[in-house]
Amino acid sequence: MNKENKKEKVDLGAWLFLVPAGVIYLSVIIVPVFYSLYISLFSWNGIGDMKFVGLGNYGNLFANDPVFFIALKNNLIWIFLTLLVTMTVALGLALILNMQFRGRTFFRGFFYFPCVIAPIAVAIIWRWIYNPTVGFVNEFFKILGINYVQSWISDPKVSLYAVFAASLWQAVGQPMILFLAGLQSVSVDILEAAVIDGAGPVKKFFYITVPSMKETFVIVIATLVVAAMKVFDVVQGLTAGGPNNATQMMSTYMYSQTFQYNNVGRGTAIACVMVVMMMVVIVPYVSFTAKD
Amino acid sequence: MRTRKITALLLSATILSTLGLTGCGSGSTGSQTTGGTASEGAKTDTQAQAQTASGGATELTFWNLSTRQNAIEPIVAEFNQANPDIHVTVSFFNTDGIKDACKVAASSNTLPSMWFNWGGSLGGFYVENGLTYDLTEYAQANAWENIYSAAALELCTLHGQLSGYPTSFNALDMYYRKDIFEKYGIAVPATFEEFEAACATLKENGITPISTAGLKGWHVMRFVELLIEHYAGAELHDELNNMTASWDNEAVVKALAKYQEFCDKGYFPPGFITADPDDTRMAMVMGTTAMDVQGPWYDGQIIQDGVDVNLFGTFPFPSGGSNRISAFAEMVQFNKNLSEAELAAAMKFMDFYYNDEHVETYSEYFNLPLPKNGAEAPAGQPNVMDILNTANTNGTFTITDQAFPTEVADALFDAQDALANNQTTPEEAAKSIQTAIEAYKNK
Repeated sequence: MNKENKKEKVDLGAWLFLVPAGVIYLSVIIVPVFYSLYISLFSWNGIGDMKFVGLGNYGNLFANDPVFFIALKNNLIWIFLTLLVTMTVALGLALILNMQFRGRTFFRGFFYFPCVIAPIAVAIIWRWIYNPTVGFVNEFFKILGINYVQSWISDPKVSLYAVFAASLWQAVGQPMILFLAGLQSVSVDILEAAVIDGAGPVKKFFYITVPSMKETFVIVIATLVVAAMKVFDVVQGLTAGGPNNATQMMSTYMYSQTFQYNNVGRGTAIACVMVVMMMVVIVPYVSFTAKD
Repeated sequence: MRTRKITALLLSATILSTLGLTGCGSGSTGSQTTGGTASEGAKTDTQAQAQTASGGATELTFWNLSTRQNAIEPIVAEFNQANPDIHVTVSFFNTDGIKDACKVAASSNTLPSMWFNWGGSLGGFYVENGLTYDLTEYAQANAWENIYSAAALELCTLHGQLSGYPTSFNALDMYYRKDIFEKYGIAVPATFEEFEAACATLKENGITPISTAGLKGWHVMRFVELLIEHYAGAELHDELNNMTASWDNEAVVKALAKYQEFCDKGYFPPGFITADPDDTRMAMVMGTTAMDVQGPWYDGQIIQDGVDVNLFGTFPFPSGGSNRISAFAEMVQFNKNLSEAELAAAMKFMDFYYNDEHVETYSEYFNLPLPKNGAEAPAGQPNVMDILNTANTNGTFTITDQAFPTEVADALFDAQDALANNQTTPEEAAKSIQTAIEAYKNK
């Protein structure tokens, strides 16, 4: 009887402690998500009457909106580049910064530092770096004697990758830190045993380090995919989705539909599509890796 | 165990009450300069109605442009000190930031007490949706027709209501560097052919003829609409702006073709398509460009930069006919929810802000002359009266991004980008703009 009473009191106390967080979670995340889903079923300018259109907004997006498909394609490219480039660079930096060398702490801070700069400030910095006339990149080519002039963010063929490079500079810090933390969990004994058994650096990395960091990879991949899906600030700051939608992303398109054109229903439909895309990628991945 | 329950209850109550007190209704007590997006907008009251703060002061919130911060901040401080029963809190945004911030605020019913806005479709959105105070009766009761110019009052009258306190009447002219023109023996062009010849001469001598920046499209639009005026003529241009004539026509195609030709010839700065319009003045001051389509505020900005304003002159773009130039009004709109007392307080502030003493002290931060009857030309800003005289003499047309709804204007801006990068032809570009117009009309 006493044990049952004790269990009951512990549960009630736990629930009470959860109430504030629950209120925040409900009001800031759960309710807005379902309200957005609700709004996406209406044609609405955000102020006047709402007109129910069912799945009409979604139909228009997938059937009549070429800009939506450009944004979708750009987001998929961005996700691919993020997983391929950002993760690789972050892991590479983490591996190097995990070694013992003089100034290691300084360089850890050095590579993490861009992460704390506001994305819009990153956009302003890189706008000047990419300036075709006086920017660092073109001037650097001049100094090296390379006769190559590029307008970078103004050229629709390269603008997306130029904006990605700016974002990479800022984004690499956080996964690098996560990988660094994950590397601390790799057993030194197993690594030493592998060395004794004749394993080289590459085999040690792929057969010991990477498997040992499986949970870290799950977190890094999940957070990078979410960040890639909702990238906004650096794109909006550098190109505002231009030139001619070359860097239009789902988030910037959602923003312009909702807050500039007052097509709130269509904008929230884009947001819902973004959520579904994220879930489609992340949920199976996390479930699959969690099975082990 | 009982202690744990009580502790949990107390902590939960404390956190919840803290959330309630510091939740999204808090106002700001200062001002901040923001970036370009609404997400970085300033802190303000989320409720636009004036609130009675402790001590009984009427609280008003005011959103304005960051380019005027150096004038507005001391004026607001002076006003608050002189009027302890009224407290104005001001927040600043850049040109595109305030457009986004107001739209976001409108959607969430959190517009401030007063906000800067332009006329046309930009200001008209708030009138259409019943968000602004109709000043028609107030204006009649206070004889505004004797105070403000008829043109300004007309431009501030949107959808049948006087929707704002007129703060400026602006026209866009071609600013040019007089010394550069003189250096290369270029006379002020009187015809379109002379203008093209001037551009060619400048380009030959290593000067980019026209400073422009297309990040949000509207600055490049200032030049493109002049080409449309040239090829379409006044009557057709007005019909195009009213969306009563199709943009899929020969005149528009010719104008867009000429714009593309100018891009190919390098008459605009490299990479201009994603350059920030706030930076066009830099190239003019440095002398790497020679012309820029700007309004009367440019003199003030040049003076703020510490540059000799006499290096700059203006001329109307030789579009043909009467060489009309584009024009628009600026105003301060008021929240529809203001009470009579709050409106009176807001008007008191606006009259204080625009009094003669402040206009003289902070002249470079005002678009002068004010849109008032008998307003004097600002001293030390030689181009202002030239521009306004040109507007009066040559006539004006509504600036395109205020004539168009936002999504149609964006279609024009996309066409500008595509033409500059040779991604489309002038014919296809004209068609795409007309398609956007039809989509908007069928919405």
